[in-house]
Amino acid sequence: MRSDVKTWIGAGVTAPVRLLAQMADVPLRQWQRLAGRGGMIGFFLLPNMLIFGVFVLVPLGINFAYSVTGGTAVFLPDRSYVGGANFDRLLDCTNHFDPNSCRDDVFWIAVWNTVRFVGLQVTAMTICAMITALILNSKIRARAFWRAVFFFPVLLSPVVVGLIWRWILQRQGLLNYLLYQFDAEQVNWLTERGWAFTAAVGVSVWAHVGFYALILLAGLQAIPRDLYEAAEMDGTKPARAFWRITLPLLWPNLLVVIVLSLIRAVQVFDEVYVLTGGGPGTSTLYLTQYIYEVGFASTLRNSGVASAASLLMGGVLVVLTLLQLGLTRWRDRK
Amino acid sequence: MGRIRLENITKNFGGLQVLKGINLEIEEGELVVFVGPSGCGKSTLLRQISGLDKPSSGAILINDRDVTEVSAADRGLAMVFQSYALYPHMTVKLNLAFGLQNAKMPKAEIETRIADAARMLEITPLLSRRPGQLSGGQRQRVAIGRAIVRDPTAFLLDEPLSNLDAELRVSMRAELGALHARLGATMIYVTHDQVEAMTLADRIVVLRGGQIEQVAAPIDLFERPANRFVAGFIGAPSMNFLTPEEAASLNGTPPAGAALIGVRPQHLEPADSGLTLTVTLVEALGTETVIHGEIAGGKRLLLTLPGHRPVQVGGQLTVNADPARLHFFDAQDQRIG
Repeated sequence: MRSDVKTWIGAGVTAPVRLLAQMADVPLRQWQRLAGRGGMIGFFLLPNMLIFGVFVLVPLGINFAYSVTGGTAVFLPDRSYVGGANFDRLLDCTNHFDPNSCRDDVFWIAVWNTVRFVGLQVTAMTICAMITALILNSKIRARAFWRAVFFFPVLLSPVVVGLIWRWILQRQGLLNYLLYQFDAEQVNWLTERGWAFTAAVGVSVWAHVGFYALILLAGLQAIPRDLYEAAEMDGTKPARAFWRITLPLLWPNLLVVIVLSLIRAVQVFDEVYVLTGGGPGTSTLYLTQYIYEVGFASTLRNSGVASAASLLMGGVLVVLTLLQLGLTRWRDRK
Repeated sequence: MGRIRLENITKNFGGLQVLKGINLEIEEGELVVFVGPSGCGKSTLLRQISGLDKPSSGAILINDRDVTEVSAADRGLAMVFQSYALYPHMTVKLNLAFGLQNAKMPKAEIETRIADAARMLEITPLLSRRPGQLSGGQRQRVAIGRAIVRDPTAFLLDEPLSNLDAELRVSMRAELGALHARLGATMIYVTHDQVEAMTLADRIVVLRGGQIEQVAAPIDLFERPANRFVAGFIGAPSMNFLTPEEAASLNGTPPAGAALIGVRPQHLEPADSGLTLTVTLVEALGTETVIHGEIAGGKRLLLTLPGHRPVQVGGQLTVNADPARLHFFDAQDQRIG
């Protein structure tokens, strides 16, 4: 009886799919007769290629076109051709390490903020992900539960992450309330330059650490237990076993974590924008936010400069992506 | 060299008792093989001796020193793992040196030990290679080399040949035997392969269900098994077991209390009178012919005849055995006589 119900439900669920398949069968067969097997490959790839083209390739082309035009007009035909002027404006500096000496000082403030953010965030992320993975790989109670707990923030929208942490860190937020309860001095987490930068890095690490920990955990689980037992027989202390066995064998996964988190950190925007809005002042203003504000949020939208900045950033990301590809292939060859 | 004594060792995993009071003495320079079916506790017992696991109760003594609570590294033992457990990112030389570096041994001493072990195992040309660049046999040698350089009190070998192909296993088996003779070291060797056990061991420890069934020299195990389990486990093909009624037509008279009569396939031979069997399968191996058959009542019987014997499947064959070759067991499966 129970299996009859199951069969009936199964048939009900698959009926529409079967109907669709039958409807598509006749025209697809005719198309295959006309285009051959090669044509079918193109047919099945077409929807994806269309989406990729419309949402990636065409905007990329338009972005390039905007980057060589000036003015405030929105439509491309209404804009004047300026050649490399937008790039000149962005790159024109007496000393690139001193944003005040640059024509577009905010751009260079954003660049150096991003560099600092990337340096600290990637380091903190890698260390935290490693520690998390090591803990999750050890014999702890309710290991599956803790794995889920650490991965959970990855599933949250960056805006939600930003809002949660703003609620915790704002002047009258949860953290200051707790400090007040313990008679400790309250801190302006989001409105003091140093703390705001630290908070941006910390929140970003919290939001993504689960993903990278998972990559490292997979690597740790691939290291045979025998090696640690052999090391134990060899009289290896735990710290030496970590440096001499775990770390070298985990290096390929670690490389992936470093490069992926590097790429993601360069693109940082949403959670930090919601958390601090780039402030106080420009202390947490990063490249993507600069592009967003110059191109969309300011009263005088300068789409040309924003496009040029996004192309420069795109160039950096291409280099990092190629680095990741190269390293992955090198690892596969090994 | 080391003398090892196990006193009433038990090991529990949760509610499951895997080792049930093991008592054993291993003499200096002896090669003892732990053998038994899967899950009998032989590898678990080796791990207790190595220090990788701690027994739930009992004591382990090495050279009369209680090491039950001593760490694996401080027991002075070396282990060769089934998977070799070589560090894949280190060269062969570093693999050999790693344990010695941990012990903060002077560099010159490390170099000397590695050179000696490499010469003994003929792996000197491989020292700069990584394990991934070695064949199975070469990896095995390196794993043994890693144990040798430590100059341990005893060697523990956990199924060291099981990952090798049949041909290599035979040659490595001989080399291990020669190595034991050369080093004169105490060795404990775990295997499920009877041939390895019979050819290498000074004494074999047969385990079943976490208990020792018998400890004896290989030939004694074969000729005087202590009980039905050992009789069936040692020897290939397995011993035939018959009730006194089924064995009534065989030569000899069972002693009083015999509930079961065992006869090895190799000890049955064609005769004018005895057990008549219907041949169901003939396996011609060249060096010997294994004949499967059924006696009256449907009981299966195996016999092994030397050389090639043209026996027809479906035909009748009468066999008998020398009464001195028969084994008798009581109702509790224990040997009589």
